[in-house]
Amino acid sequence: MDNTITSQQMNPFDKLLDKLCLTPVGLLGLVLLFALPYIPPFNQEYMLRWLIYCGFIAAMSVGFDLTAGYISIVNFGYAAVSGFGGYTSALLVINMGLSPWLAMAAGGITAGFMGLIIGMISLRLRGIFAACLSWFFGLAIMGLATKMVWLTRGPLGLRTPRLFETDSNAPFYFLMVILLFLIYLACKLIVRSKMGLAFQAIGQNMDAARASGINPVYYRVFNFTVSCAIAGILGGFYAHFYGILTPDVMHTSKTVEVLAVAYIGGRGSLWGGAVIAFPFIFIMEIVRSTLSNLPGLNLVIYSLVLILVMIYYPGGFSYFYDTHIRKPKNKVLRYFLNGRK
Amino acid sequence: MIVLETSNLTKKFGGLTAVNDVSMTLNQGDVMGLIGPNGAGKTTFINAISGLNPPTSGSVKMFGDDTTRLTPEKMCRLGLSRTFQIPSPFPKMTAIETVMTATIFGNESGKVKDPVDHSREMLDFVEFPMAETVVAEQLNTVQLKRLDLARALASNPRLLFMDELASGLSEGELNDIMRIINKISKKGISILMIEHIMQLIMAVCNRLLCIQFGTKIAEGLTQEVANDPKVTKAYLG
Repeated sequence: MDNTITSQQMNPFDKLLDKLCLTPVGLLGLVLLFALPYIPPFNQEYMLRWLIYCGFIAAMSVGFDLTAGYISIVNFGYAAVSGFGGYTSALLVINMGLSPWLAMAAGGITAGFMGLIIGMISLRLRGIFAACLSWFFGLAIMGLATKMVWLTRGPLGLRTPRLFETDSNAPFYFLMVILLFLIYLACKLIVRSKMGLAFQAIGQNMDAARASGINPVYYRVFNFTVSCAIAGILGGFYAHFYGILTPDVMHTSKTVEVLAVAYIGGRGSLWGGAVIAFPFIFIMEIVRSTLSNLPGLNLVIYSLVLILVMIYYPGGFSYFYDTHIRKPKNKVLRYFLNGRK
Repeated sequence: MIVLETSNLTKKFGGLTAVNDVSMTLNQGDVMGLIGPNGAGKTTFINAISGLNPPTSGSVKMFGDDTTRLTPEKMCRLGLSRTFQIPSPFPKMTAIETVMTATIFGNESGKVKDPVDHSREMLDFVEFPMAETVVAEQLNTVQLKRLDLARALASNPRLLFMDELASGLSEGELNDIMRIINKISKKGISILMIEHIMQLIMAVCNRLLCIQFGTKIAEGLTQEVANDPKVTKAYLG
């Protein structure tokens, strides 16, 4: 919006970067993500599994941030919706023989439908009340997944076919990174359009937004639907990557994991959570595997870090980056961090 | 031409009647002051009209059409804008983004060719004292009120509600706001303003409506209402 240089004056490379919603440093990060499986020590299979999980949480936090960061409603049922997409996808493959790829898309659509419902019934509620409602909604879905043993096998877990018929984790990793980027791009494009303005207006001041002619019903429901559809697709990926699905994936603690990453990364930035997820979740996985005699320690660390961030740096990493790193004096460095804008 | 007409408008919150049976008319080109002691129901009255808090009974007619219980966003599209008593901006948005929100969503799509340009014009029009890239949460109340006014004007209203726009202003700022209100009125926008500062009311309003305990006690030309013994009594006890 504050483009001082119009797009005609940009060279093709900068234009492309702008279309892809990336800065040069962002592009470097993306390239690094693609190169990571070839760099020791990350070329080991178990590390790759952790990285895939990092990517999963990163992508979830982007989708989560679309709701939490823009219309300021924390969707506490996010993991449940994701699991719902995962179960839909898995059941379609198992019972109907659908290809996992199509099933993943179907999982996204059904989860999006779920988002539509949550969005509709939470319309009259604001802030914490809408958050509670989405939470209870999530608990209800999780309860169903646990109790409907004839369909989901309940806590025994559902064995699901994997996306790639290989023991290697590398293809899953690349797919995850591509998914992460596509999800980021989709969210960023939505936010960049005039819709983003409406989201922010609704999230920051409902009365003023309505007085300015914004119909909150349409934008809130749309936001929930997109955000939940993303969760559903990712749930499908989760199901067809791990090969086993238990109701645990729908647990609130999973949402909290996503929430912690999104908040530490910085609300309303979209990229903050995606960037923070990789080091943060990776370290958490190391903690979890080395201190396996202390189960749940990682959750304690999550909450601790989250509390510290909320108290001392509520803007999160993206705010820190924007205020302290983004605007260096050096011109080359400035271009590197911001792109031609 | 009658711009706004309410008949027997009533708003109850549970057992409390905040606005009781108020009928009024606002003509094209009017600058009408809405006065009354604190808690008289002035803000509730305009909330009931603008749809933020729909009325319990009674009806609202705007530009000749029945607009009772229409939502605020519909009223905005129909040409009603409002500012808020406690300026309520979008805290994380810049000034220009705030105004652009109303420019884009408050007008029928395609009506404003260049939203950025239009928004800049609005900021200039209200003589917004800061840079357009300033973030709203860094502004003080006076600046926020200007921004809120620019936002309200950006949707090209034909009728404007201003809720205590001038409270807390210094003498010099008061003169500025007087000039701006006159400019708005010259654009052909009818105004209904809640105000406590009599100096401003006497200077800009041609008609007054006085409410006490939610009930209309006077409506008419400024001088007549100001000298009405009932109004003086309501204010001075």
